[in-house]
Amino acid sequence: MSAIPAKTKAAPAATTLRRLFLTVFLRGHTSRGLSKETVPRSVGQKLALTLLLYAALSLVALIFIGRPVFALSAYLHAMTFLFLGMFVTVSAGEMLFNKEESDVLMHRPVTSKDLLWAKIGVLTQVSLWIAGAANLAGFFVGVGAEDGGWLFPIVHALSTGVEALLCTGCVVLTYQLCLRWFGRERLENLMTTMQVLVMVAMTVGSQLMSREVATLQAIASADLKVWWMFLVPPAWFAGLDDAVAGSHAPSSAAMGAIGILATGLVLWFAFTKLAESYQTGLQAMSEAPAPRPERPRRLEWLNRLAAGGLVRRALKSPVERAGFILTIAYLLRDRDVKLRVYPGIAPIFAMPAIIMLNGHGGKGLAEFAAFGICFAGVFVALTPTLILDLLSYTQQWRAAEVFQIAPTRGPWALQRGAQLAVIAFPCLPMLAIFGVYVGIAQGPKNLLLLLPGVLSMPPYALMPALVGGAVPLSKPNEEAKSAGRSLKMMGAMLMAFVLAGFGSLAWYTGWFTYFLLAEAAMIALACWFADSVLRQVRWKPLD
Amino acid sequence: MLSVKHLSKRFGAQVAVDDLSFEVPAGQIVGFLGPNGAGKTTTLRMLTGMTQPTGGTATVCGFDVLSQTIEVKQRIGFVPESGAVYESLTGLEFLEMIAALYGIPQETARPRIEQFISFFDLSMDTLKNKMLGAYSKGMRRKVVITSALLHNPPVVFFDEPLEGLDANASVGFKTLIQTLAHEGKTIIYSSHILDVVERVCDRVIIIDKGKLLVDGPADELVAAHNSGTLERLFIQLTGGEQLERRAEDFAKTFLP
Repeated sequence: MSAIPAKTKAAPAATTLRRLFLTVFLRGHTSRGLSKETVPRSVGQKLALTLLLYAALSLVALIFIGRPVFALSAYLHAMTFLFLGMFVTVSAGEMLFNKEESDVLMHRPVTSKDLLWAKIGVLTQVSLWIAGAANLAGFFVGVGAEDGGWLFPIVHALSTGVEALLCTGCVVLTYQLCLRWFGRERLENLMTTMQVLVMVAMTVGSQLMSREVATLQAIASADLKVWWMFLVPPAWFAGLDDAVAGSHAPSSAAMGAIGILATGLVLWFAFTKLAESYQTGLQAMSEAPAPRPERPRRLEWLNRLAAGGLVRRALKSPVERAGFILTIAYLLRDRDVKLRVYPGIAPIFAMPAIIMLNGHGGKGLAEFAAFGICFAGVFVALTPTLILDLLSYTQQWRAAEVFQIAPTRGPWALQRGAQLAVIAFPCLPMLAIFGVYVGIAQGPKNLLLLLPGVLSMPPYALMPALVGGAVPLSKPNEEAKSAGRSLKMMGAMLMAFVLAGFGSLAWYTGWFTYFLLAEAAMIALACWFADSVLRQVRWKPLD
Repeated sequence: MLSVKHLSKRFGAQVAVDDLSFEVPAGQIVGFLGPNGAGKTTTLRMLTGMTQPTGGTATVCGFDVLSQTIEVKQRIGFVPESGAVYESLTGLEFLEMIAALYGIPQETARPRIEQFISFFDLSMDTLKNKMLGAYSKGMRRKVVITSALLHNPPVVFFDEPLEGLDANASVGFKTLIQTLAHEGKTIIYSSHILDVVERVCDRVIIIDKGKLLVDGPADELVAAHNSGTLERLFIQLTGGEQLERRAEDFAKTFLP
């Protein structure tokens, strides 16, 4: 064997890496003792289901048949931007900066540029699958648009590809800049903060964009191009479609040019100018962190809170209180959990804010304002469901064996501590913020409209344990990428709509007090039943 | 083959490695020892191009670890303490992927992999069909060791390589690295199992708090410090005697 093998027929490192990252992405970073045949089902098939779901959602574009290309395209790009933004934002952290990966690859003869490009390649490839599914119906609708034609699918496919590159580039650029400006010490917190901000911006931006387009779609396409659209990325790509395959308006061409220019700039900065700092970032992730004396102090207040009268009265056993501390500690400290949970719940907080603001500015639509407040409360009350569901997954899932080895009969006490923890943080603080806004903007009396939401928090918190047997921090991350979870969330959201609808109806018909009493009684009964069932659940045998 | 000059690494105010210098010729097995947090792993990470030093230089096979990182990486093998692998790949997929990163074509890689799996008593069926996540710790360690030696590197770094290996595999492994050294390979062996180090290594380097404490053949060092064994020498140099007393006191607190 020669010491340095000749590079004859081996695939280039970049190709090998891209194949590797795509395989690992589709199968997940960890497997639970599964064989080769069964592992792809954990992520790959769930991704396929998600793509099917997006393809089904793309049918909404049918309402744009016969409308101008710009209106259709603006809607399609807004939705694509939202879906891609959510995917890239959530996936990029784990893919770009995986701590364990450095021990596998960093001592191999590959450059940081090869690593970065391979990862970006995979992110873009999956983004394009998502974009393709989300635009499936749109491609055909564009052919029959008012000023559309056969050129639309081709141009729209290209503009969607550029949009995917922009999304990926923006997220990578954000990471690189955080790393360069703030250093590794603060990178993890900043990564989470940036992801949450990006997620909120994506949600708010896409909502505003699609609402504006839906409102104005009946008007001629030229009137859609209000000044602020020149600042919104989906409008740039809609402009590109419109300039080539629609009205050919000069303003559309200008928007398209801005889009191409912005994408070029972002890619240049992210992959050329700042690629060097990627290696620094990877090294920083694998280095032992410098001691931070302020850390232990942060847990002291948590221990005091758990030992305090209120929590002690609610959580009687030490296991429940341990579950409470563990949950809050992970929500505050663990990078993996933070990157999963906060971007995941950001849209939940953004959506009711938009609806409340719409209701407030609704110019006489008082019913809608009441619905908006009520919906905000109930929607925020959904958050424990989502958090507890997401909190089941962690890279350190093997540590959950500790719970089973401990002398507890089942997960009930741990689940109960976790349920109270997510209600205490961040749901109640968020509801309090909405409360302050409602109190100031709508008057203190309207605060009562948040009560249906406050009351529905405990059953929503019980739902993940009851329906999915969720135990905090007990499953590998790969199992989290589930279309089933999306369906459960859709069901929960539907219930929120119904509850908010009945709540606001009761408000205007003068039955609100009775409504609250009835809701409280039903919830008490549901909680008692759920709690009795969960107390009987025993630990499943260890794998 | 390996030259380390005034190598240092700081993490903020914390000094992990402090002005470390030593040379290792070809064909030597060097035991790299130190208590927890002494800076062993950080040193190995700097020598394998995984972490940048904050001071000093190091060369591997004449290539600078800082400026010629890829050339260095092509010539080294590293078995990290974590034994990290991609758990959702099969053993064979993982090893073929690693081989490809070193430019080894599949038709060359496969026979080499077969040689290793036969040496380590792994079954090809397991390697082909089971995900690495399903492997026992020992099996996974064997795959990681194979991945470090697959490209036949002239310098190999081992960080706690025996962790998880059973007694038979450990004996086989010790013989393997001695044979590799006889063939001219340079081996840096970091471990806490001191009797193995004493038996296998030609030379021992002990560091503590990032600083070099002693460097030389184990028997000479033991004789010079009048310690009797390498373990006693290690305890003597790194303040382990205090720990022994504290452990005795601590154990007494559990007695009725």
